[in-house]
Amino acid sequence: MAEIVLGIGGIGATNTKGATLKTYALGSCIAVVILDPQTRTVGMVHVALPDSAIKPEKVATLPGYFADTGIPALFEQMKRCGTKGPQGLIVKLAGGAQIMDQNNTFNIGKRNALAAKKILWSFGLAPVAEDLGDNYSRTVTLATDTGIMTLSSPGKPNWHI
Amino acid sequence: MEKKTLNKEVLAAVRHVPLLSVAAARILDLTAQVDHTLADVMAVAKNDAALTARLLKIVNSPVYGLLEPATSLERAISYLGENLVVSLVLEDTIGAYLNKPLPGYGGGSGDLWRHDLRTAIAAKEIALINRDRCPPDVAFTGGLLHDIGKSILSEFLKDGYQEILAELAEKEVVDFVGGERDLLGIDHAQVGYELARTWGLPEVMQMVIRHHHEPSLAPEDLKPVVYAVHLGDIIAMMGGYGTGTDNLFYRLDQRYTDYLVVGPEQMGMLMLTVEEKFNETVETLQMR
Ligand SMILES: [Fe+2]
Ligand SMILES: [Fe+2]
Repeated sequence: MAEIVLGIGGIGATNTKGATLKTYALGSCIAVVILDPQTRTVGMVHVALPDSAIKPEKVATLPGYFADTGIPALFEQMKRCGTKGPQGLIVKLAGGAQIMDQNNTFNIGKRNALAAKKILWSFGLAPVAEDLGDNYSRTVTLATDTGIMTLSSPGKPNWHI
Repeated sequence: MEKKTLNKEVLAAVRHVPLLSVAAARILDLTAQVDHTLADVMAVAKNDAALTARLLKIVNSPVYGLLEPATSLERAISYLGENLVVSLVLEDTIGAYLNKPLPGYGGGSGDLWRHDLRTAIAAKEIALINRDRCPPDVAFTGGLLHDIGKSILSEFLKDGYQEILAELAEKEVVDFVGGERDLLGIDHAQVGYELARTWGLPEVMQMVIRHHHEPSLAPEDLKPVVYAVHLGDIIAMMGGYGTGTDNLFYRLDQRYTDYLVVGPEQMGMLMLTVEEKFNETVETLQMR
């Protein structure tokens, strides 16, 4: 069974039977997960920061690092697997953890989630499920066959959204 | 009541830890001094044959792409820089502790070392923005050592983290270190401090280790560097490099703004730089 592991800024899309997409230990990073029921394609991007304006030259090598460039780049990859347009796609979000008593400077997780939602909104999409914020780190696994999104965190039983 | 005896057992375990190598102790002493030079570090490293061999091997590895092999230690160290030398010295002498799996935190082998290295790099980057108050190399070494107490406490914590997570959910304790104290009578910062004293680490390292979750309790003159490690630790956890079951269950001390400048507009760049420097360092140290 093919397991595609995405690092920070990694983007993956697949419709191969039995394949899974996985990303480890999301702290303030978020995973944007997109499912296309039409072509049974699943996609995921591991976003670290909200906005590429901070270092535009990084976009060429790692567009997935930023929400504003990562989500359009994910759509492009999914198109190569046959996905038509944003209509009918299912979106889920996870991650964006924060330290306790965070302040404005340290709320990168929240800013990541807001930026992702804004970009998705511009494509006419909104998440149907999300597991965001709080103080725990998350590992996300996405199965092509079932479209089931599994979350795990150290010291917690696994759960789905 | 059980707590008190556990706390005694933990302290007994600290007393059984082997001592630091002579070179390591002297290099740590040196790097804690504000006015030390690279030449001072070299002079000590030279007397340690194993360390010299390791430094030369790294500097001659393909990562550096030297046309001719570096044979002299002077060249090796100037390529590597002091932080890498300190990382190597620590890994050689207390690597057994830094690399130990942390069953009590659900962490695997190397997780603590990666967390420490990430914290060290972040603390140094914060110090670089606040150079006038905070020596970057001291912040780096402090970052490497800050969680050393976890290597001992983990053995005693075992499955106890479940209880701490439950207490956190019920808001019976305010953070993970509070949970450790509630369960074991001592937390990983206190254990690390005892270990630092046993090893005779410099005062500033002892204070960084002891107060990294409560920087406001550090001596006034050391607060900038303790706060730098406090924030570096948080940046490491936010970047996905925590140690496991303790997750991000720690508090940010907002009073860092009295000692350090880290603005919202600097935070993203800081996280990005830490990520890039970390990947570089891992490659250079040939970790994994
Ligand atoms: Fe800690
Ligand atoms: Fe830490």
